[in-house]
Amino acid sequence: MMSSAVRCRAWSLVSTLSRALLVMLLWLPLAAAAFAHASLNSTEPPDGAVVAAAPGVIRLIFNEPVSPTSLKLTRPDRSSVPLEDVVVKGNALEITPPADLQTGTHLLSWRVVSEDGHPIGGSFVFSVGHAGGPPPDTAADSGWPVWAGLWTGKVMLYLGIFFGIGGVFAIFWFVGGDTATRKPSLIALGIGSAGALISLGFQGLDAVGEGIPFLFSGSAWRAGLGTSLGPTVMFVCVGFALAALALLSGKGREARWMALSAVLTAAFSLSLSGHASAAPPQWIMRPAVFLHVAAIAIWAGALLPLMLQLRTKSPEAADSLQRFSVFIPFAVLVLIAAGGVLAYVQVGTPSALVTTAYGTVFLIKLVLLVVLFVLAAANRWRLTQRSRRGEPKAISMLVRLVAAETLVMALIFGVAAAWRFTPPPRSLVAQVQRDVVVRLESPEAAADVTVRQGDGGAVSLSIKITGKDGQPLDPVEVTAVLGNPQAGVEPIRRKAEKTETGWTVPDLVLPLAGRWSLRLDVLVTDFDITRLEGEIEIRP
Amino acid sequence: MFKTIIAATAIAACSSAAAFAHVTLEGKEAPVGSTYKVVLRVPHGCEGKPTQVVRVQMPEGFYGVKPQPKAGWTLETVKGPYEKAYDNHGSKVSEGVKQVVWSGGNLPDDQYDEFVFRGTIAADLNPGEIMYFPVVQECPDGAKERWIEIPAAGQKASDLELPAPGLKLIPAAN
Repeated sequence: MMSSAVRCRAWSLVSTLSRALLVMLLWLPLAAAAFAHASLNSTEPPDGAVVAAAPGVIRLIFNEPVSPTSLKLTRPDRSSVPLEDVVVKGNALEITPPADLQTGTHLLSWRVVSEDGHPIGGSFVFSVGHAGGPPPDTAADSGWPVWAGLWTGKVMLYLGIFFGIGGVFAIFWFVGGDTATRKPSLIALGIGSAGALISLGFQGLDAVGEGIPFLFSGSAWRAGLGTSLGPTVMFVCVGFALAALALLSGKGREARWMALSAVLTAAFSLSLSGHASAAPPQWIMRPAVFLHVAAIAIWAGALLPLMLQLRTKSPEAADSLQRFSVFIPFAVLVLIAAGGVLAYVQVGTPSALVTTAYGTVFLIKLVLLVVLFVLAAANRWRLTQRSRRGEPKAISMLVRLVAAETLVMALIFGVAAAWRFTPPPRSLVAQVQRDVVVRLESPEAAADVTVRQGDGGAVSLSIKITGKDGQPLDPVEVTAVLGNPQAGVEPIRRKAEKTETGWTVPDLVLPLAGRWSLRLDVLVTDFDITRLEGEIEIRP
Repeated sequence: MFKTIIAATAIAACSSAAAFAHVTLEGKEAPVGSTYKVVLRVPHGCEGKPTQVVRVQMPEGFYGVKPQPKAGWTLETVKGPYEKAYDNHGSKVSEGVKQVVWSGGNLPDDQYDEFVFRGTIAADLNPGEIMYFPVVQECPDGAKERWIEIPAAGQKASDLELPAPGLKLIPAAN
């Protein structure tokens, strides 16, 4: 009797518990249905925004309250840092970023869990100051006054190296240390030193993208020293000093060696910067620049001292002319050979001569070179012998032609200085080769995506979409979704813009190298979406 | 006892997948060959913006559609030919409503509303299949939410980012 009652009560307890459990389990989906899962409504700063100053607070605003599970900031230098200073305020997450945000593009990858327990994630980018990575070496938009300054500085630098240092070399190696001929070289050394300073300052302005008033701030000069021109200017100044020292020390063996080392230092300095020195293969290009510069200095530098000596009818002129004539063919040979190598690498294909600005500058320089060689040939084969014999008519003719030669040389320096502003075809080709094309397919559509990578993780996508079996397809909307699961970067979504030839996502920033997943959501009609998936490789 | 819990858990697991979707149907299943009232539940707008237009595409095999008008909204339908003719009380119908559009309304993001239409589920459809009603919500400034994805073979609705609301077909009630 007793036992049966206990059993009965025990059974009813189990039964009540199980019923309660059943009810709870059945309520679960209904409870979940009460909360649709969370989605991100907006961010501050907004996705893709460029803000003037580093934000003090970053807000992610959702459509319902969420709890953060992982927040990570990738900086412009590609280092990443977890964001731990987070406050949940209603539907928003308020993040206090590290105080030391750099300029450039940041990527914030977030992962949260909504009240229904469903985790969602995404990424967005914002830029402080400017989009992209750390400041590039040259900014293209610093304006023509800066460009004019850069060009002037460069021409002055060339005059200093070729007529100044080259002149000093000629004084001690060709004209027998005749100090009467040193005035043009001294002036050229002065011009060159001023040119070195001007180049440095304007290079700094160009690097930071500022106008001329900024020249009077220290940071422009620091920026200039920080570019590849910094070491060039330092070495060239050593060259100028050596040349000046040689002139001051007068005739003698020391002066000759000082003059030679000035030429070598100057040639070395120019091989440290510039388009040509930066080109691969560097083991050929840098020595080629060095030899080219040294040969020009020896040729160009000799012209003015020789001319002065001839004009003053110095008795030593004949010997000077003789020394110059014996040595100069070797210099010209080296000059042409080194110049040929540089041109071959830089121009690449013959068609680039007419299709690029660099090619145009090259052609102008080539025309001037032909004129120069005609003048030089006339001097050598028509006038040198007669001048050495002392024929007054020949000498005055030679003086005039050497003056003309000097003028053409100066023009060539002016033209060559313009190369500072034209990227060589070699690098344009390299730019094209950085484009990668990937093909994505789904049963309903296919897409050819051209991925173009710029500086600092800037990426643009050009998308061409075709339908089944290559049929034309004109989608309503295309959205690109990019993520980097290995690096823990949640997907970034960007709506593509329609262009005349297809679709484009112009302003993505993917601040991490490696394999990124790429998905295109193609809305074929208002009610029909197809997703194309693939991967792209982002280079460092 | 244990079986009951497992069964309940299974039901909970299955229906919670559907509960994650944004725009859903109130009824989850309907017999083939019946006239059925579809209640579309719209729980929020697009990224915080109010819903101004709701468009629903009628699946093939759901014919004789009559939408219910709604105060404050303009009701329109888009008509077109069906893929085949369906039986309507002995007569054949081969065209009818393909899309229902409620427009000009204003349903704020933090409010809820339902949109209703009625139609006949073709008797020759297979029980066990799911009938999908793709939905597009339109909001100001060109913002849109789409619930238009239909699972491919081997996919579940919960795998999809933008699942279209679905109705499971069950055998006809005789």
